[in-house]
Amino acid sequence: MADKDLKTKWNLTPGGWNLEGVPAYQDEKRFTQVGRSVPRVDGPVKVKGEAVYTGDMILPGMVYGKIKRSTYAHAIIKKIDYSKALELPGVLAVITGEEAPNKWGIVPQAANETVLAIGKVRFYGEGVAAVAAVDEETAEAALELIEVEYEPLPVLLDPFESMARAGEVLIHEDSPKNILHEGEQVYGDIDKAFAECEYVLEREFHTNYPQHGFLEPQTALASYDPQSGQMHLWASTQIPHYLHRQLSIVLEIPMNKIRVTLPAIGGGFGGKGEASIAEFVASLLSRKIGRPVSVTFERNEVFFTNKGRHPCHMKVKMGLDKEGYIKAIDFDNTLDKGAYSGWGMVVLFYTASMLHLPYEVPNVRFRGRSVYTNKPSTGAMRGLGGVQPRWALECIMDELAEVMGISPYELKMKNAIESSHTCINNMFVPHSEYKKCLETAVEKSGFLEKHGKLPFGKGIGIAGGYYISGTAYTLYQNYKPHTSVMIRVDTEAGVTLMCAAADIGQGCNTVMAQMVAEELGVHYEDVHVQSGDTEIGAFDLGSFASRLTYASGAAIKMACVEINQKIKETAAGMLGVRADQLVLKNREVYSMYETKKRIPWEKVVEAYTSINGSLVGLGNFSPPRRKGIDIVTGNRVQGANIGHSPTFGFSAQVHEVEVDVETGRIYVKKVTEAGDCGTPVNPMSVDGQVEGSIMFNLGACLYEDQKLDANGKHLNPNFHDYKTPTTMEMPEMDTNIVESYDHTAPFGVKETGEGAVQPTFPAITNAIYDAIGVRFYNLPITPEMVLKALKEKKAVEASSK
Amino acid sequence: MFLNHFEYFAPKTSRETLELVSRLGNKAKILAGGTDLMVLMKAKAISPEYLIDINGVEEFKGIVCEEGKGAVIGANTKLAEIQFSEELKAKYPALAYAAGEVGSSQVRHMASLGGNTCNASPAADTPIPLVALGTKVVINSLSGERELLLEDFIQNVRKTNLAEGEMLTNFILPEPVPQSACRYTYMGRRDAMEIDIVNMAVNIELETDGETIKNVKLVMGSVYPRPLVSKEVPPLLIGQKLSEALIEKAAEAAQGEAKPIDDIRASAEYRREIVKVLARRLLKETYDAAKGV
Repeated sequence: MADKDLKTKWNLTPGGWNLEGVPAYQDEKRFTQVGRSVPRVDGPVKVKGEAVYTGDMILPGMVYGKIKRSTYAHAIIKKIDYSKALELPGVLAVITGEEAPNKWGIVPQAANETVLAIGKVRFYGEGVAAVAAVDEETAEAALELIEVEYEPLPVLLDPFESMARAGEVLIHEDSPKNILHEGEQVYGDIDKAFAECEYVLEREFHTNYPQHGFLEPQTALASYDPQSGQMHLWASTQIPHYLHRQLSIVLEIPMNKIRVTLPAIGGGFGGKGEASIAEFVASLLSRKIGRPVSVTFERNEVFFTNKGRHPCHMKVKMGLDKEGYIKAIDFDNTLDKGAYSGWGMVVLFYTASMLHLPYEVPNVRFRGRSVYTNKPSTGAMRGLGGVQPRWALECIMDELAEVMGISPYELKMKNAIESSHTCINNMFVPHSEYKKCLETAVEKSGFLEKHGKLPFGKGIGIAGGYYISGTAYTLYQNYKPHTSVMIRVDTEAGVTLMCAAADIGQGCNTVMAQMVAEELGVHYEDVHVQSGDTEIGAFDLGSFASRLTYASGAAIKMACVEINQKIKETAAGMLGVRADQLVLKNREVYSMYETKKRIPWEKVVEAYTSINGSLVGLGNFSPPRRKGIDIVTGNRVQGANIGHSPTFGFSAQVHEVEVDVETGRIYVKKVTEAGDCGTPVNPMSVDGQVEGSIMFNLGACLYEDQKLDANGKHLNPNFHDYKTPTTMEMPEMDTNIVESYDHTAPFGVKETGEGAVQPTFPAITNAIYDAIGVRFYNLPITPEMVLKALKEKKAVEASSK
Repeated sequence: MFLNHFEYFAPKTSRETLELVSRLGNKAKILAGGTDLMVLMKAKAISPEYLIDINGVEEFKGIVCEEGKGAVIGANTKLAEIQFSEELKAKYPALAYAAGEVGSSQVRHMASLGGNTCNASPAADTPIPLVALGTKVVINSLSGERELLLEDFIQNVRKTNLAEGEMLTNFILPEPVPQSACRYTYMGRRDAMEIDIVNMAVNIELETDGETIKNVKLVMGSVYPRPLVSKEVPPLLIGQKLSEALIEKAAEAAQGEAKPIDDIRASAEYRREIVKVLARRLLKETYDAAKGV
């Protein structure tokens, strides 16, 4: 043994396997690095306050940019006069929209936003001009000197009003109905199916307008070198690649002259899944003045530019047969898009794809429209497109179970899908332990013993959900691999993974280090990760759609094949055994049959590199491509490619609530969760993700809502009045990782960052019903709503007596 | 988000401070904890020309709480000190509790008791129990000193009785009489970092029989431009033994007196509803405490 400690500590896997002398091929699941609860690689510097965020960076000659924002939600810009601002000492440049007229948007077919408004503003707080000055104070003073003349237009804040008044007011000239996109997907024959149903229920649900609440506001630092024409941008983003691409379009600079680097990132949750005006403004100003420019949003600017969750107005009809099998879903969704398209029709059709899982549904009709309003644009927010329909569907199933007189658990178990499931829209689920999630959550919470039996004011509710582990398609037409990685092995740097994945706090750098270590047979502490840089790293689409663990894992496995082959061949010569009989584990190379024949892994690397130099492996990952079709007719269905994924994660949650029936306050006391995340690469990190997910949507369910006045002005663009739950509101949590291994996935992994947000809304809503006998169809469920509903209930009960 | 330019003074004694206050008048603001002042200045709601930082003046800090002699609390005593003071917790639990419910831990280690009063926010926590306890404030100026009941000191939203050249220096809390208790409660959307929708304090003194109410004071916050001392509750309860029916009557009376507004945090209707609930709960809690239950 190379290291005495290893013998006792590391010859056992997290599963308790003793690897000594056991051929590796006999069980692919016997990991040593994957499955370890290890501290984050970025943990110590963050805890010590030494992590460098974009806003911490100061470059020589750096100046500051600030953005002048509209005070109207909808208005023609008649005139912008910034002559006085330019005269202020210390002001270096002012720009307006005309300087960068190319439209940006993460979905290029729908891109309709300019960096700064041109001719017209469409939401309160939209940027109209930007200033570069020697310090922030001067920049802020300069903004006051910019005079903008507006001609106000009618403000449309409600999607139904927006559609109704489209003949009179248009938000975008090229969208004649004030609709970004409308679509229909029909699978099977829903009319016939409903006619045959024993139980049919129809309800309307309305969701709210929450925002991510990440701690680090959008921040960008751009440094343009006029000599070489090279732009270097440090940015707080989830999507270095899509940002890179859009910068190239807006700046009209080729991508190979732009480098995007991610310093430490203070959270994103989807909000940094689109480019930010901060990034464009910093770049444009830096190019204009030839000095580095730093732009950091104030918290109100984060709220103004937003990209929070779409408010959805959903009409849902669900039908069950006599036994309780779901036969049909008819779903109509009106999404409040806000002012610009951003993720465009993607979110619209995600809400469509979410109807097909995690239950088997043979007949589905979706009709939906994404409608422009004069609000800050909505966009991607943890569980994109899933949270709203999941809430509606799990709530309506709770009602249906009651109508049938069975437990909602029974209804869910009856309809839950299993592994190797093909949905009616051709989505394929290779592996599911959803039933195990339901069973575990129910058993551990005592749901069946408590449901319907708790005293008035106390309640328990159950809900399930799922999410994708990456997408099947890029957002622009291209079939290149979604992830490429490079692994370098030598005696100087040891093992280095180079990629462009974005660690936004979710912990992918740690998980990737574990996967590299597993595959190469070293320890995670041995792996250096260079990520989040479009120049150093290889290609990666970014952190969204819960894609990284799966995609990076697959690319890492591929990159390691070549390296391991060379290590084995070299070691084979040194040990005098066949290369294909060697095992790489725990920093050693040894024969799987003659375990005494072993050599430290490092010695083999030394031997290889002293002859050949550094060892490099490349790997990439392309998801399987499946077409969105009606599998019965074989017909293509518009928008149905959206929602496909290499694999899917599942979660079931049981929430226990107490309602103060006098004040209306709702207290979530305990949450029992069980999740199928495949192999948990870092179980401690999974627990963190799941607890974070639950708190995230507990907030949006009971507290969080952005409010605007009649003119579209934000009433709560700060954490004073935009209330998120605090640790005081955190319930007791019992999170469980169910035994799961997806053989089609690298290391058997799946997502966990977005699946666990899905059941939270409905589990709380159903628990409130169990507590006080009132069903809520609007979010957030506030104490005022509870009191009002209780009063109404009392009145109804009194009149029926 | 930048502060206006101002001149900064850091006096070392109360005399120096009062001279500055007298000389600079309304153009100056006193900087104690700054947890409200800095926020207002960053929002450009106020732009004082001078700041007088009193953190170097020891005379304005500290708690003197002696057996039988009430308590005197310096205006620049941090809320965290009040929250954690064993003497105050024993003698004035309502105040210690209210101080511990202001903002966050970080805020409480900066914010001062005087600031929480002088900011004169209708939603402030500590003035409510202070008023219920019959607290007087000491107001100093170069020309002398005067005392005033706190309920007469706070006059309106962000408006106090301070004249130009004056500053608040001390709080004088009377010694609680035997067989009495004071309690505080509030309602918000969450249990920390909250701006109260309604808050309330009740002080009850019992007759020697240990059951009949001799004196009662019910004070409400967030439902009026300043702490609202109920006029209707005392005549209902004095001379009575508290019963469910009386509690209900008193709570309704308090509800009738409250004049809340609609704002982003809650509707007036809901606030009125909560006044009743809190009054009901707090009267019972305080009565039980006075009885020594």
